[in-house]
Amino acid sequence: MRRLRLLDFSLASVTAFVYLSLYLPILLVFVLSFFSMRRGRVNWETFSLGWYAKLFKNEALGDALLNSLLVGIAAVLVAMVFATLAAINANSRPSSRSAQFLEYVIFLPFLLPPIITGLSLLIYFREAGIPRGLPTIIVGHAVFVLAIIYRILLTRLNALSRSLVDAAHDLGASNLQTFRYIILPNLRMPLLTSGILAFALSFDETMITLFLTGTDATLPVRLYAMIRVGFTPEINALIALILGFSIILTVALAYAWGRNSGSGGNLIAKTSK
Amino acid sequence: MANPETGSPAAADVGLPLLRIRGLGARFGTVEAIKPLDLDVNDGEFLTILGPSGSGKTTLLRTIAGFQPPSAGRIEFDGKDIADLPINRRPFNTVFQDYALFPHMTVRENVGFGLRVRGTAKAQLNDRVDAALGIVGLEEFDARYPSQLSGGQQQRTALARAMICEPRLILLDEPLAALDAALRRQMQNFLKTLQRQSGITFLFVTHDQSEAITMSDRICVMRSGSIEQIGTPRELYYRPKSRFVAAFFGASNIVEPCRIHETRDDATIVETPVGQFRISGPPPDSSSGLALAIRPEALGPEDETRVNTLELEVVAVSFVGSETITELRHRRTSQVFTMKTRSDPAARPPDIGSILNIGFDPAECALVTEAAN
Amino acid sequence: MTAYARMVRPGLADCLLWGAAALFILIPLASFLIFGFFSVVSNSIDYRPTLANFDELLSNSSYRTTFFRTMRMAFLVSATNLVLGYATAYFIWQRPPAWRNLMVIALAIPLLMSYIIKIYAMRGVLGTNGLLNSATMALGIIDEPVSALLFNLTAVRITLSVVLLPFMVLPIYVALERIPASVLHAASDLGASEIQIFARVVLPLSLPGGIVGAMFTFVLASGDFLAPELVGGIEGFTYGRLIFSQFGLAFNWPLGAALSIVLMIVALGVIYAARRFGNPRWQR
Ligand SMILES: Nc1ncnc2c1ncn2[C@@H]1O[C@H](COP(=O)(O)OP(=O)(O)OP(=O)(O)O)[C@@H](O)[C@H]1O
Ligand SMILES: [Mg+2]
Repeated sequence: MRRLRLLDFSLASVTAFVYLSLYLPILLVFVLSFFSMRRGRVNWETFSLGWYAKLFKNEALGDALLNSLLVGIAAVLVAMVFATLAAINANSRPSSRSAQFLEYVIFLPFLLPPIITGLSLLIYFREAGIPRGLPTIIVGHAVFVLAIIYRILLTRLNALSRSLVDAAHDLGASNLQTFRYIILPNLRMPLLTSGILAFALSFDETMITLFLTGTDATLPVRLYAMIRVGFTPEINALIALILGFSIILTVALAYAWGRNSGSGGNLIAKTSK
Repeated sequence: MANPETGSPAAADVGLPLLRIRGLGARFGTVEAIKPLDLDVNDGEFLTILGPSGSGKTTLLRTIAGFQPPSAGRIEFDGKDIADLPINRRPFNTVFQDYALFPHMTVRENVGFGLRVRGTAKAQLNDRVDAALGIVGLEEFDARYPSQLSGGQQQRTALARAMICEPRLILLDEPLAALDAALRRQMQNFLKTLQRQSGITFLFVTHDQSEAITMSDRICVMRSGSIEQIGTPRELYYRPKSRFVAAFFGASNIVEPCRIHETRDDATIVETPVGQFRISGPPPDSSSGLALAIRPEALGPEDETRVNTLELEVVAVSFVGSETITELRHRRTSQVFTMKTRSDPAARPPDIGSILNIGFDPAECALVTEAAN
Repeated sequence: MTAYARMVRPGLADCLLWGAAALFILIPLASFLIFGFFSVVSNSIDYRPTLANFDELLSNSSYRTTFFRTMRMAFLVSATNLVLGYATAYFIWQRPPAWRNLMVIALAIPLLMSYIIKIYAMRGVLGTNGLLNSATMALGIIDEPVSALLFNLTAVRITLSVVLLPFMVLPIYVALERIPASVLHAASDLGASEIQIFARVVLPLSLPGGIVGAMFTFVLASGDFLAPELVGGIEGFTYGRLIFSQFGLAFNWPLGAALSIVLMIVALGVIYAARRFGNPRWQR
């Protein structure tokens, strides 16, 4: 018994350490966005929103933020269309070799180190004579987030009974009607969930982007440039804002996930009450 | 409508069958799931496809419904070839084994789906859904989702959904398989009544012979992709043509080899290793692997109707409630027989090893062949 | 073939999907593989195939050293995180459901937070004026700030460990959560002690999650160039940085591609091993 309690205690300590190491650095940045530091200590008397004010005047960052949003939305939409087609294809032909190999291909950019995805697209675009810019970044991000969306959609489709589509056809629905009334409603939540997740991934993506970026930088690339040059306190303010955004995104995702998980029927039943 | 006395479908003599299948075959790669077969389904009848697992029942039904492309043959509905008709244009509907209810739609939306995709006006759609829900007794449940229904209610939703477009034929693939025994019996009655009242032709798949017997006007027995025998439940029960059908309907005492000794007007005399017997009716057309099939309940103490007799030794007696099952053995040939008799509270069970004079009625046995065709 | 299968016209679907996949995934990967066999002559790319890059790779000991040092570091990050991650996932799993969800969300938040920002934040912790120094100084553990915490390979290791932790905890937790309660009840019903249940049931059933986590961690750590760039200084030079530099100042894309081919082979090997061992026979 005593030994077990000791074990519990050590587990709790490790967990505390893990969470601390995840949050402390971020918290520090957050604090430093309002206060300044002197001789290794936070000077609590120096509260100011000055860095935030300065941040909002920084046009380069504003542009980068817009670019990030644009890239994220475009990449997610492109990936969603392809992932939906691929997932339906894989689900409708479970024993097809072609669909199986396609799955491996879809997973490659996600599983390989981002540096490889990035530089392979860089070389490809250069050889094809396509200049680097937002479109190349969008392609890079779409390819990167594709696997996540595909996986989530396919899981949902596989959980559905195969005979639903048969039943719809049997009752007189055309292919289009079957897609619209049967498949799409069942994919709505997984599309939302995977869309948010993919957007979050795209919003943070840096390593692939660094290879594909032209003159228009995304937010992380802009940040990278700023951090490399040196310590600018307004970064802290920006980081605090992004932190807030991440939290909102995660909570939204957790909520969507909660509604999405479990068997579809039960869930619909639960939420409809 | 069917005549319950003889079990023969009244519509049979109208002429043209509702569904006419000729030379229909289906294959998965090299596996021939259905060997080319003919089948007529008459208007208004309850036809059951019965067969053991893997005999091709589902494949046959799916081929008719259009989910599965046929490898050969033609399917005519109401005199028109429907082979090239896509599923959503076929004039009949299916009740799936797992019901295939749309999980994201309410009962009302599920039932109304067939009308919705046909662009039926809202008011008319609602009226017809109400009527269909009334028939299956689900008026109260129209706002529920499938996951909030019991098995029987889901089953009835699936039925209402298949009926909404007023098809003349409904295909049902083991629709009762997922239900427990009590509910199953209840749904059997419900289905049968519904079928009679609506006049819709039912093509029903099951592997349960008692279910087939109680529900059907005619039964089509399938075996490894071919039709073994088609007939009324009575015909299959009392006049199986093959050993397979006999065994499937519980005629477990098979005596072989059989040789036809004499053919009279109303009877056939056969020679078997355990004696010479008289069988009602003419002999089968083919005589390959001829055998005599006797139902366990046809055996009993020798009397004036059980005129075919044989002396058998008692091997074992087991009391199973209303019935008593006696294992018997023919001394010389060691052929084993099973006898099922009504339990008699007054009678003492026979001693093991004693010899009994057992007889059976010439009308309660059948001459069967290796295969029906 | 079901009706559903016919809903998707296989020929058309294959054309469309494979076409797109070829255009944006396969051909780029192929062109990068081919590029490894080119060379640079007077600042422009010479398209005649050659093995020079690979020759250079094998003969130049500084490349080799960087490679092995990076792989060792990635391995250490994976191993450290496997231990920390398993303990954490196990602890979360043992909490009541409400706590669990909260703790999992708390793990996911940093996961979805900008990578750059996390690395930057780690700089604030590890730096000379950083939190770690201030705290240890305040506690009287050290007198002078230690500068050895930043701008070396250890800093890279610590940073990657912290940043990649959620990738380890989450798969292990998912694997633990998949263990049906009935299995655990059955085990204790059969008389297994808590430690036996852990060793015989929980650990074997959750280890695949750990393997997947270790795979992610290793692949990401071995190819990373951002963390080394930002907290590694000159000492923390890694293979990822080596590759990245070929596409920047050094401008030797073919060499960069060749270096990446090695990295890709390692990554594919790790992924394959994880698929084999992280996907035990009873799950296939
Ligand atoms: N998709 C398929 N691919 C290959 N072979 C199949 C497929 N579906 C069925 N078969 C084969 O076709 C034969 C007939 O199968 P079918 O499903 O029609 O049998 P069934 O009579 O409905 O059996 P059950 O009572 O078990 O439902 C079987 O031998 C089966 O293995
Ligand atoms: Mg079947």
